[in-house]
Parts: sequence; C-alpha cells; structure tokens
Amino acid sequence: MKNKLLRLTTTLFFFTLLSVDFAFAQGRAISGKVTSKEEGGALPGVSVLVKGTTNGTITNTDGNYQLNVPDNATLVFSFIGFTSQEVAVGNRTTVDVALLPDAKALSEVVVIGYGTQTKRAVTGSVASVGYDKFKDRSFSNVTQALAGELPGVNITQAQGAPGQSPIIRIRGISSITAGTNPLYVVDGLPMENFNLNNINPQDIESVEVLKDASSAAIYGSRGANGVVIITTKLGKVGKTSINASYEFGQQEVTRKIDLMDAQQFVNYYVDAHNNAWTASGPGRLASDPNSVRPTQFRIPEDFVTNPQQFGKGTDWQDVMYRTAPSHNTQLSVSGGTDKTQFLFSGAYLNQEAVLDRNYYKRLSLRTNIKQTISEKIAIGVNLAFTGIYDRTDGTQGKSDVVSLGVQSDPIFPVYNELGNLGFKDPNSTWYRFATYTDLQLWHPYSLTREIAKQNKSFNTMGTAYLEYNIIKDLKFRTSINGNLYNTRYNAYQNKDMKFGYSSALAARGDVNNSFMLNWLTENTLTYDRHFGSHGVTALVGYTAQKQRDEYSSVTAGNFPNDLVQTLNAGTVNGGTSLASEWSMLSYLARVNYNFLDRYFLTGTIRRDGSSRFGTNTKWGYFPSVSAGWLVSDENFLKNVTLINNLKLRASYGVAGNNQIPNYGPIGLLGNQNYVYGNNLANGLNVTNIANQDLKWEKTTQLNFGVDVGLLSNRLNLTAEVYSSTTNDLLLFVPVPDLTGFSTQLTNIGKMRNRGFEFGLNSRNLVGNFNWTTDFNLSVNRNKVLQLGPGNAPIVYTDFVVTVKTEVGQPLSNYYGYVFDGVYKNQAEIDASPHDPTTTPGDPIVRDVNGDGKITEADRTTIGNYQPNFTSGLTNSFSYKGVELSFMLQGSFGGEIANQLIRYNGIWNGGRNAYAEVANYWKSESEPGDGKHFKPTVAPKGLQEKFSSYWVEDGSFVRIKNVRVSYALPSNLLTRLPVKSARIFLNAENVHLFSKYLNYDPENTTYPATTYSPTATSASGIPSGTMLGVDYGSYPVPRIVTLGARFEF
Amino acid sequence: MNKIKRIIAIGCLSVMAFGCKEDFLELAPISNSNANNFYKTREDFDLASNAAYATLYTVYAPESSVSYTEQLSDNATLYNVAGIQADRWAFKDYSLRTSNVEVYRFWQENYRALFSINIVLDKIETASVDEAYKEQVKAQMRFLRGLYYFNMVQLWGDLPLVTKPLSAEESYKVLRSPVADVYKLITEDLEYAAEKLPLASAITAPGKASKGAAQTLLGKVYLTQKNKTAAAQILQEVVNSKQYELLPSYASLWVVTNKNTKESIFEIQYKGGAGNPYSNYWTAFAPTENFVLTQFGGGMNQVTDDLYNEYEPGDPRRDASISTGYTNKVGTFIPIKFPIKWMDRTAQVVGGRELSNNNFMVLRYADVLLMLAEATGDANFLNQVRTRAGLPAFGAAGYPTDKYPTLELAIEHERRVELALEFHRWFDLKRTDRALPVLTAKGKAVTPQKLLIPIPEIVRQQNPAIAQNEGY
Repeated sequence: MKNKLLRLTTTLFFFTLLSVDFAFAQGRAISGKVTSKEEGGALPGVSVLVKGTTNGTITNTDGNYQLNVPDNATLVFSFIGFTSQEVAVGNRTTVDVALLPDAKALSEVVVIGYGTQTKRAVTGSVASVGYDKFKDRSFSNVTQALAGELPGVNITQAQGAPGQSPIIRIRGISSITAGTNPLYVVDGLPMENFNLNNINPQDIESVEVLKDASSAAIYGSRGANGVVIITTKLGKVGKTSINASYEFGQQEVTRKIDLMDAQQFVNYYVDAHNNAWTASGPGRLASDPNSVRPTQFRIPEDFVTNPQQFGKGTDWQDVMYRTAPSHNTQLSVSGGTDKTQFLFSGAYLNQEAVLDRNYYKRLSLRTNIKQTISEKIAIGVNLAFTGIYDRTDGTQGKSDVVSLGVQSDPIFPVYNELGNLGFKDPNSTWYRFATYTDLQLWHPYSLTREIAKQNKSFNTMGTAYLEYNIIKDLKFRTSINGNLYNTRYNAYQNKDMKFGYSSALAARGDVNNSFMLNWLTENTLTYDRHFGSHGVTALVGYTAQKQRDEYSSVTAGNFPNDLVQTLNAGTVNGGTSLASEWSMLSYLARVNYNFLDRYFLTGTIRRDGSSRFGTNTKWGYFPSVSAGWLVSDENFLKNVTLINNLKLRASYGVAGNNQIPNYGPIGLLGNQNYVYGNNLANGLNVTNIANQDLKWEKTTQLNFGVDVGLLSNRLNLTAEVYSSTTNDLLLFVPVPDLTGFSTQLTNIGKMRNRGFEFGLNSRNLVGNFNWTTDFNLSVNRNKVLQLGPGNAPIVYTDFVVTVKTEVGQPLSNYYGYVFDGVYKNQAEIDASPHDPTTTPGDPIVRDVNGDGKITEADRTTIGNYQPNFTSGLTNSFSYKGVELSFMLQGSFGGEIANQLIRYNGIWNGGRNAYAEVANYWKSESEPGDGKHFKPTVAPKGLQEKFSSYWVEDGSFVRIKNVRVSYALPSNLLTRLPVKSARIFLNAENVHLFSKYLNYDPENTTYPATTYSPTATSASGIPSGTMLGVDYGSYPVPRIVTLGARFEF
Repeated sequence: MNKIKRIIAIGCLSVMAFGCKEDFLELAPISNSNANNFYKTREDFDLASNAAYATLYTVYAPESSVSYTEQLSDNATLYNVAGIQADRWAFKDYSLRTSNVEVYRFWQENYRALFSINIVLDKIETASVDEAYKEQVKAQMRFLRGLYYFNMVQLWGDLPLVTKPLSAEESYKVLRSPVADVYKLITEDLEYAAEKLPLASAITAPGKASKGAAQTLLGKVYLTQKNKTAAAQILQEVVNSKQYELLPSYASLWVVTNKNTKESIFEIQYKGGAGNPYSNYWTAFAPTENFVLTQFGGGMNQVTDDLYNEYEPGDPRRDASISTGYTNKVGTFIPIKFPIKWMDRTAQVVGGRELSNNNFMVLRYADVLLMLAEATGDANFLNQVRTRAGLPAFGAAGYPTDKYPTLELAIEHERRVELALEFHRWFDLKRTDRALPVLTAKGKAVTPQKLLIPIPEIVRQQNPAIAQNEGY
C-alpha cells in the first residue's frame, strides 16, 4: 500500500516536471532590448510577461531579455514610472521596445479611504509613499522611515529605544487637551493610537497620509489630526515570486552627554558645600572642619585629603551603553492568477538595544488572499500575526535608567571590592560615603541586571471582505475587521538590588496583563460610471465599530530569596483589574465628479455617533468639498512644451477629534476609603464634574495646492497653503478650586494652524547615470485664538518646567525668568534690581517689567518648541546597478526645555553635572564663563526656578540616512535559481549637528497626549502640552545595516 | 427590474445585519460607579460620608498645611529633602511667594475636602432617608467643615466661603468673606454638631466625631476669638461629661497599638498594611536617606534644638517625642533630631515604604485641660498635665519660675512640650498674640503680615477679583 502510494507520488512528480519542460520546449526563443523612449537609455528590471500566463522574465542591467514564447504570443512590458506596453510578437525573434515614461505618473493609484483615486483626480492634500521608498531602511515602524520625507508631516523620534514609535504631527498641533496622534487605518480598520510596530514594514505596499481636513473628513470625528493609511501587499498577477532577505545591523550611541569627571565633581561638591556653609552665618570659613559643621554642610574627608584616588572616575554612559547587533530575516511568497492573488510573508527581527540587557524581538506572519469566485463576486482575507518580546528601559525620563545614569556621581567604581554595585553596600569600604546623604548613585546595572523584566505582546489583525458587482458599475463591499491585542509584563526586582540603587529596596514582583479587542463592520456601495465627458464615482457606506479594553495587575513582596521569581514565592500585596469600552456608528457618502477628466469636484459627508460624548451631543456631521483643475490639459497650454503638467487644487472640510477618556462626559465616582477603629469602611467620592454637552473638537481647514511638472517632468513641484481652525477645543478648563476640582472637561476655545508646504523632485541627470534630488520644506504657524472663561491662560508646571498657553500666542510657550549671566561682584549687584538674597556668583535675573524689583511678575515667555520651519533633502544617484542616496533633515528655530538642568545643570542633592557647569563662578577673580552660577547646597534665591538657563536652541541638521545598494548583474545570476539579487548598506542617524546638551533635540519625555482606554478622567497635565521638554531621554543610536535581498 | 430588487435586498440586508440600535452608543462605565444614580439611599450616604472622613488623610497628612505650621513656628525645620527645595524651605524662612506650589496644594486639598463634605450636606437635604439619620450625617459633616474652616481661617484669614457644591460659573462669584463671617459659619457648624452628636461612649464606629469633639473644638474657636467665658463654659462641659481622662503615662499615648484611648477626643484612624489606608507620619518625619529607620525618609519637621531644649530636666515627654539621631548601617551615629511620636518599627514594608498603623490625634484631653487653664486662669488644670509628666506643679517648689514667671508663660511652655509636633504650636502663638515676639527673638524674619500665608497666585489668575493678603 505504502509502496503504491510512493510510486504514484513519484510518477506524478515526474509528470509535473515533464509537463513543465514540455511547455518550454513548445515555444520559441525571442530576445530584445527595452529602452526609455525619452532618454534612450537601457531599462533594467523591466518585467516582460507573456500575456495571460505566468511565463515571464526581467530585463538585465543592459536592458536585454530572453524568453521562450508560444505562437501568437503578446508580450506585456511593465515598469514602475513607465506606461505598460503590449506588443504582439508575430513572427519576430527580436522584439525591442521603447517605454514611455508615465505622464507624471498621473495614473498612479492613491488610496484615499473607502476607495482609491488616480493621482490625476486627487483634489485634497494626500501624500503617498510606495514600498520602494522605504524598502532598504532599517526600522520596525514604517513611519520612522518617512521622517523628513513628507512636507507637512512632522515625524520625530522622541525615544531611541527599539520599538518606540515616533511622534507624528500632521500640519501642526490642533489640540491642547485631546490626543494629537493621527488616526491609523490599516487595511481599512481605523485605529486610534495604534502601534505600527505591529505591521512589518516589508509587508506594506503603500502609506498614504491624508493631510487636509477635506481628505480626512471621510473619517469624520477622528480625522482632525490627519490620517495615516497603511495598505498591505497583495501578489500581482504573474509568476510567483519568492523574496528573501537578511540584514545585519550595528547600533551605537555616537553622541554622548558631556558630564563632569570625578575630579571636576569633587571640586563642584566641595564648593557647593563651602558656599552654603560660609553663607549660613557670619564667621564661617570654607576651611572649617566637619566637626563644627551641621550634617548638610559636611564634606567627605577623601575629597579634601586625597581626591586624586578617584582619577577620572566612571562615566556611567560607558557602563550602560554598548554596541548592539540586530538581525532581520524576511521571506515572502507572492503571486497570482486572474482569479487568485496571494501573499504569504514571515519575518523575524532580533534586535539588541544599545542599553544594557535591553532587546526587541519580533515575529511577524501575514497571509493576504483574494479570490474571484465569479464575474460578480470576489472575496478576500488578510490575516496577520505579530508577536513581540522586548525589554525596554530608559524611556521614561526622570527616574528611569538613562536619566539616573546621567545623574550618578562619577567617583564610584562600576564594581566595589566585593563585586557588588554600589557604595550603599554595608560591607564595603565604600560605605564610608553612605553617611553623606548628598552623594548619588543609581547604578545602571541595579536597574538592568538586578531587575528582570519582559514585555510580551501579541497582535492579531484580520480583515475579511466580499465584493459584489451588483450590476455593471455598481459594487457592494462588505467587510469585517478585527484586531486582538494582548500584552503581558513580568518583572522581578532582586532584594537590595545589590546595593547599587539609592536605597536598599525589598524584593518585588509584578505581573500586568492587558487585552484589547476591536471590531469593525463596514458596508459600502460604490457607483462608478462615465457618461460621455462626465465621470461620476459615488460612495455610500455604513460602519459600526466597538472596542473593549481590559487591564489587570498583581504585585507581590516578601520573597524569601531571589531564587523563585514568580509571584507564588512571595506574598501578593496589591492588584487591580479594570475594563473600558467605546463604540461608534457612522454613515458616510462621497461623490467624485469629473468633466473631461480635467475638472474635478469631490464632496463628502460623514455622520458619526460615539459613546464617548454627552447624551445631548452624541452625533456630529463632518462635510467637505474640494475641486481640482488640470490646467495643462487645456488647449491653451497644450503647445507650451515647458509645462507638461499643471494642476490647481482647492479644498475645504471639517474633521473632528474624539480623543478624550472613554467616559469623559459622565460624573464618575472613585473609591476613597476610611477606617473606623480596625474596620475598613468603603467610601465613594465624585472624581470629576459631569458634562453632558461634551462633543468633538472640530477642525475646519482650507487648502490650496498646485502641482507643476516642467521640462518633460524632469522637474516636479508641489506647493500647498492651508489654514485650519479648531473650534470647540476639548479643554480641561482650569476651574476655581472652590468647586472641589481643578479642571472641567469642556468644549471651549479655538486654535489656528496656518502653513505652507513645498515639495520638489528633480531628475537632474538621466541616462546611464541618474541623479535625483528631492527637497521639501514645511512651515506651520500655530496660534491660540480663544481659551476658557475670561481667556485665562492655561499654565502647566511639571517638575519646575512651566508651559503657558495664552490667547494670541502659540501653544505651550516656556514661561519663566530670564537669566542674564552671573553677578561678578557686589558692585554689579548693587547697580541693578536684584532679589534680596543675591550674593556675588548668583544669577543675574532680568527685571522684565522694569519695576526695580525681582518678583514673580518678571517671568515671561522664554521660548517655544515649535520650529519656524522644517526641511528635508535627499539626493540619489544611480549608475547601472549601483545606487547611492543620502538624506539631510533639518529643523530650524524652535527651542527645547532641558528638564535635566534641574539635576545636571544646577546643584541638586549631589547629582553629577554637565562638564560645562564646571566653569561656574568661583570668586571675583575666577568668574568662570559668565553663564554658570556658583553651586550651593542651600540656594536662597531663584537659582532653581525655571528660567532661560533651562532653554536651549532646538535647531538641528541631521544626516538622517545614507544608503548604497548594488544589484548584481543578471548575467552573473543566470546559472543560479535567482531572478535578482541586491546587496545594500544603510546607515541611519549618521550625524547630528546640534548644540543641545543632551542626546538629541528630537528627544522629549512627554509623548503626544493619549488617553489610556482605562483612564477614567484626566485632570493631570496632558503630556502633549509639555512640548519639547526633555527629562533625560533614551538616545537615538546610529544604526548601520548590511543586507542582501534575493528574488527567486 | 431584477437588478433594482437586488440592490434593495442588499441594502436592507446590510442595515438589518448591522443597523444597530441607538443603545449601541450608550455605554456605562465598567470600572467606576456613575454619579448620576448615587446619593439616594442610606447606603449611598454611608459611602459618601466615609469618603468625607477620608479627606482627613490629606488635610492632616504629614506634608499638609497644618503640618507645615510646625516649621512656621520654632518647633521644626527642614534640611536637605528630595524635590523642589526652595518652596518647602520658604515656610521656616518666612520667604513664601505667591507661586509657592505647596501653598497652592494646601488650597486645593482644603477646598477639595470641603466639596466632599458639602456634597453630602447638599444631597441629603432632599434624599428620602429618615430624619434621625439625616441629622447624624449632617452633624458629622458640619463638624468636619468647622474643623477645616478653622484651620483655613488661621492660615489665610479672609476666605471664600463655600457651603454647597458650586458650578464653575457660580464659583467665580464667591469672593473672600471677612474673618468674622468665617468664624460665624464655624461656630454655627460646631454648635450644631455639639448639639446633635452623641457622647463618645455612644459612638460605635471609633473615629466618628462625638459631642465632646465638637465641644472641644468649639472651645478652641471661642478661645481664638478671645471669648474666654464661652470657652471656659463649653470646655468645662467636656470635663463634666466624664468621657475623657489623661492616660497615666505620656509614653503610652504613642504606642502604635494604643488607639482611641480615654485621652483621645478626635483621632484620625489609620490601618497599617497593604491595601489599607495606612499612615505615613513615621516615614515622612524620619530623616532623609537614613536607610536604617525607614526605607525612605521624608525629612519633614525635623526638630529644632530650641524645642529640644525647652523641656525641663527630667521631663519624660522629651524622649517620648524626639530622637537625637540614629546609628547608620556601619555603626556611625548620625546626630539629627526628629519626631518619634508616630514611630512604627513593625510596619509592613511594601514597594519600598512602610505602611504604618499609627493613628493621629487631632484633639486630646491634655489640650482641653490646658485650654481650660488659659480660659479660666486656674493653674489646677495646667498642673494635672504636669503631674502626669511627673513634674512639679506651677507655683510649687522646683517649678522653673524664673523662666516662666506668669501663668500665661507657663501655659505657653506647657502646651509647647505637651503637644509638641502635633500641629498646635504656631496656632497657639498666634492665638495668644505671642507669635511676633517669640519668633522674632529666635531670628525668624516674621512680620505681622507674614502671619498669614499668601493666596496662591493661580487662584488670583483665575479670578482676579479675589484679593491678595497684604505683604504678598
């Protein structure tokens, strides 16, 4: 039986092989050369396919091809950027073809939400990026590869840890309190605050960004921050192609923070204590011994008698960072016939992080299939799974590893003589320093090696759809989307953390779980028809979407030892679970009309109802109109050879922002328990003021655009201007505390963003040697037009840094004193208004209001994060199979509030400081650099207050990316089962030109405002308003990747 | 025709399948109760008044406004502490600015607490619960409100008087009322509470305000208003009620497990351990970064030498109240004086902090006796307290008459050492008009105007019609 089966299989196998041979044997060989009609050069990589079959090939570097074809075959030549051509072979044995460049690629298809459009017909502001733009870039999140590429889309990497998503701001910031992240739409599923790391960039066909409100209006109450549409790949009709690639990367922190070494620190410490001691009373001298000083003025004997013993000391950055490797392996199989198209893909990314013991590992699997069942019906399923294991420390600023490492004193060794981590080890000789409460060490290893941690997250996303052509031109589409996201976090902290932390903490274990299920059903009818010179596409649709989030956590302590680290070994002493939901119903409609394919008009409307809003305001309308005129198609321009494309666009639309806590309008009760005697008594208290009139923010935007193609499309320009106004701002309006609350969530206030965007693409040289330049420039001006009652300014202070939002000004000005250097002597003090506590060596505080006194009224605007303009410049060169490209990115005119000044710029409890602080005022004869005032452990004046001393220039230019790739000539590959092979070298964050004291001016420890689904209210500071404030961020490393890509 | 039918059919189908009812959008919170259907039943009001009692945790916290009065006085100071130092040192240095973040926090904490009380008082008026219950809840709430406003009026002077939940619009119309009006409300609240509340012996839930608590506080209020007759009368009622007595030993007042003793009149209730409302006076008052006493020391209200030296030789209360230092991990003695009244060395440690079990006495019988001495001029009341401490009576041999020649000075001295670090000293000095001479003599930069703390800047930014205290 078994034998028979085997024989049968073998026979079948051979038969299959034979039939393949047979098929080839039957045809005849033809060959030819493909060139560009315009420039005459050979075109490598052109797909040559026998029509109606999967039989085909690709032209080699010289543009030549060879192929066996059956009789009466028709060949299809296609290549990106060129119009496809069909040629009947007839009796010829040589078929040479000259392809026409695609007329400004106007026929390229752009995804616009609930449908597609040709570029020609686009009337709004849509940026479209295809796979080719980011295929060699080494990022886990596709939007990271778009930073600096798209005018009007500001993408910044706040934290450099692997797997950290960038902050995306499209055309400025349109909200103060509500979330500001754009809406993500992945294969039709709109998701708020979606983590794009869950989509493998290699699976992405295109990314579209809907920038203006008229394009985004089709996403209604969620479109105001712009929309990022991700479309995944589907196989092409033709031969099955197998793609495999492998990349190896090295990551490195190339720009360290310049900190004091041990010798500088010892001087700084001694001076801070002596300055305070001598100022604390008459007759006290810097030479007084510890015995006469109270504790807080004492100085370790080692600092006085033998400071040399510390040498240069330890730069804790060298301890926490390392050169880290990464590996990325990808395999995909795609292809299709007229009836079935498919893509299967799998990828594994294994990335160590530059931070000690941190890593990021991702497995992503995807299958996309579309099947045409009959002439009328097609169905499809996209299914993707992503599993991520990671450990990520150091991204939280203030009290996280990176910030703590930078604050730690350089005098301590990496290991003490007992092999433990710190001077808090009671058995170590270093313990002699523990008497001094103002020596600081948070050893990086105490957090990375003495705490075990892991995040696991699993994302499954699926889409199933059915398309039904009811009659000619009328198509019904129904789909169900689901996204299931689970995370699990485990942590265990060793007892005493081997004495490397500021205190010897007890052992502790934590387990957190979260669950998210989002589902969506969509039903649309599309009617698409031409009536003579009139073309109409109409769409109506209905969607329902719901999400549920659950969260739970358990904490345990009292572990007998560190051997068993699961919670069963300890005593559970804390835990909670939470759940939350939102739902949304929407009706939408769109009509696109064109006349002569030259005049375009689009109108859309969406009606959204959301559970998040008040009973009185559940539903809202979001309309838009837009128009386009392809002037270059007019007769009067037909003969102007200079201009081959000219299009004018105008649009106006309304989009909303719904990103507030799920139960925003409802007055909620929170637990506030009391105890009577020994009996715990539950208590409930109102936690927020109810507001049943709560509704979405509405952004209306007017957009004008012009697209120009010159000199046979060698030069393409796009320029756009826009003005948007956000009304009904969702504000946690400060209310008098007499109400029992500090804020109330209310729709009040207005903000405007106006801007200009310019994009240029120039093919400077074409032919064998190609040189292309892409340039973009974005300018956005943000202005608050109206705020809460009496237009009272909104002031937020977080760890000293104060941001103030007031009418007539951009969002979140830094607000504080102006420091004008350092008083050199008493005469200078006497000659100017000063705080009464001022002594020589203290900062000169500017009397801003000129009243002769230094008071709180002297605080003023001392900067703003928002840049005057941002820009990107990419140059690409190609010669035969070699391509080289480099990209510069710049931001000009913004400021950063360096919150680490609180620790590293000013004496603060014995923390280490920036090296430049060592140039502080020491005496009248040693006045230092005139910027850094004298350190003291007991500051009396305004030294610690937020001031211009904290604000730095945020302008920078970055060599963002350099890439070299080489496609192996096809004649090398003929013996191999390989269709094409490329090797490439890619470098990200190559160099930064910036004066910023910390790692990177793009860093901020305050991400865009988001509301965790389980957040009930948000009376705190919306983190997005602390714009550009950096409290010690994770550096963005330089990443150099070497990779190879093969197609079989 | 067929086609049209098909279109209609599909249209209907999709609407039927997904044409969700409107209640698809009506989602009630899952992990929180909804305020709309609360404040109806007796159970609701129990929960709500428990939450009102829980405001004692913030209003009397070790970093609260009343705790900082110890630094405004000559009892306590602050060394290096974590966080923004200048704003915290401003109390001991009398260098408060209107932007002081601590002062704004006090304002928020007190008015938030008043909201929790006022909402109960407001909602219970119209609720269908029985009258006797209603009266009890109101008396409890009005006691707390009287207590809070009494602290606040001593800190800020004129105050916006809030007696019911306010909308944002309404709140802009509430400006500062004169001190006299604030005292009128305090007196009315406490008189109501004193009338309606049961005697301590009838209280079943320890920690609830009793008649004696209301009377004691009322006596203090009268005394502060210089109405010694009224004070003497009501405080005498507290004595006559025979509900309270001094514990034989001063030290036993501070044993962690000795809660709600006969001496205690109003006591904030805590319960140690995870998940409980634990107390944190001990960790807050322990020296910073000591690493032997507590996991993390707050360094709040470190004791001045001046207070330490105020004790007479042999006064056992000194060593029951103040530690002179501690021995660190390698055996070095670190000299630093800090409060130990709320020491709890057996507290459960979770997440790097002690979850202590101590209660906090707001009012106790020794205070009543000393106030009676002040109100009546009768040294016998004072001497009961001295006798318990094992010290010679005022006027008897061995009394340090040279230092405290008058009864007034003797009471001032006795209150300082008996009630040390229990948040009384600064209010005592203000009440007896002694703050300026006493504190100036000890080098404090105090002026008559600085005996009130500023109205926070942000309050006046929001509503410029609210006046600032003079001198700020």
